[in-house]
Amino acid sequence: MPEHKDKQGVCFFVYNNEELDYVDLAMLAARYVKEYLKLPVCIITDEGTHGWLKQSQSQEDIDKFVDYIKITTDELKPNIRRHYDSPYTEFKAQFSNSNKHKIWEYSPFEQTLLLDTDYIVKNSFLLKSFEYDGVAMFNNALSIRNDKPHQNEILLYDQGIKMWWSTVVYFDRSDFSKMFFDLWAHIADNYQFYQFLYNFPGNLFRTDYCVSIAVHILSGMEQSNIIHNYDDEPMYFVSQRDNVIDANNIQDWICLGNSSTESWKDILIKHSNLDLHVMNKRALLRVKPKLVEHFNAR
Amino acid sequence: MDERLEKALEFSNYTLTLNNQKQNIKNRVAQLQLVHYNGGVFVANQETISFVKTMIDLDKTVDGVIIDSKDNPIRVKDYKDLLEKLVDAYVSASQEYAVEYDKLRKSRSIKSIMDW
Repeated sequence: MPEHKDKQGVCFFVYNNEELDYVDLAMLAARYVKEYLKLPVCIITDEGTHGWLKQSQSQEDIDKFVDYIKITTDELKPNIRRHYDSPYTEFKAQFSNSNKHKIWEYSPFEQTLLLDTDYIVKNSFLLKSFEYDGVAMFNNALSIRNDKPHQNEILLYDQGIKMWWSTVVYFDRSDFSKMFFDLWAHIADNYQFYQFLYNFPGNLFRTDYCVSIAVHILSGMEQSNIIHNYDDEPMYFVSQRDNVIDANNIQDWICLGNSSTESWKDILIKHSNLDLHVMNKRALLRVKPKLVEHFNAR
Repeated sequence: MDERLEKALEFSNYTLTLNNQKQNIKNRVAQLQLVHYNGGVFVANQETISFVKTMIDLDKTVDGVIIDSKDNPIRVKDYKDLLEKLVDAYVSASQEYAVEYDKLRKSRSIKSIMDW
C-alpha cells in the first residue's frame, strides 16, 4: 500500500482475542469515521487478526472502510484485563496494548488521529485536532449519566498526577511529538519502576498511565498546557457497567446508565451527536447489527 | 405500592432522565461553541462576540491581540473574519440547542424523551 499518500488520517490498533472481536469493533468505528470525519483509515494488526478480518468481513466493506492495513510482528505481552458487561456479567480477556507507542512508526499519515476501536465518532469535533501542533489527548471524561469517572481515572492515585486518556491520541510529525512517543516507550519499558514512583494501582498495563506520566514529565513535573487537551472538553463514555440497548438511527443510541453507587439502578439515556467511548464492548457488538442496518437503510 | 407513591416515583424517574438529557444537549452545544482561530481557542458566546465587535467598532484592530480561553495571547489579523466565525458557531449552536430543547420540552414521558 502507498505510504504518506494522505496527509491526515485515523489509525486503529486491532488485535483480536478469544472473548472480543476487535475486528468487528474496528469495522464499526471505521464506518463512523468515514461518516463524520471523512478521513482515510489505517488498521494496524497482526497476521492472525488480519486473517480473521478477511474471513469475517466482506471485501466490499473492507475496501469501503479501510484504506491502509499495516501488519505488525511485535510480541504482544500478556496483559489480562477484567471486563464487565453491565453490572451482572464479568469476564477476563487479553488486552494487547504493549506496542501502542509504536504508532509513531506505523502510522502512514503526517497528522494522525489514533483511536481505540471502542471510540465511536458521532460528529466532526475531532477534526479540530488537525489544528493543534504536537500532541492532543483528553484529560477529562464524563459518563453518559454526566458523572465523573472513578477517582482512579481522574488522578493516578488519590494524591497523584492527573490522568490523561490514551483512547484518542492526535499527533503531528514534529520533534516534540517524537520525544513524546520516545518517552512513552521508555515508560512502557520501565513500567514497574514508574508504578512504584507514581503509585498507581493494579497489575494491568495501561497506556493511559504511560501517557499521563509522559505528560507530567514533559510539563516539568507540574501542570501545563504543553499537550493539548481538546480545549478542556470531556471524553464522553459508556462505562463497562452501562449498556447500549438499541439505536433509533445511526445517531440516537438508547443506553442504560448504571448508577455508580447503587448498581441495581439504571436510567434510560438517549445519546446523540457526541462521540462515545464505549467501554462495554460487548454491548457495542450487540447493537452493531442494528447500527449497520440503519447505515444501509439510508 | 401506594398509588400516590408509585406515581411520584415514576415522575421522579422522568425528571432524572429529563435532566440528564438536558445536560447532554448542553454538552453538545459547548462543543459547537468552540472556535479555533490562529492557534487559539475561543468560546462563541455573547461575551466574546460582543468584545470582538467592540474592538471593531472602536477601530482597535491594528496589531490586535486577544487573550483566548486558555489565557494565551492570540494575534488577530482579521477581526471581521473572527467575528464571522464566532457568530456562525453561536448561531449554529443555539439553533441546535433550541430544536433539541423544544423536543425535550414537549416530551411528557420517558418513552417520548427517548423517541423510542
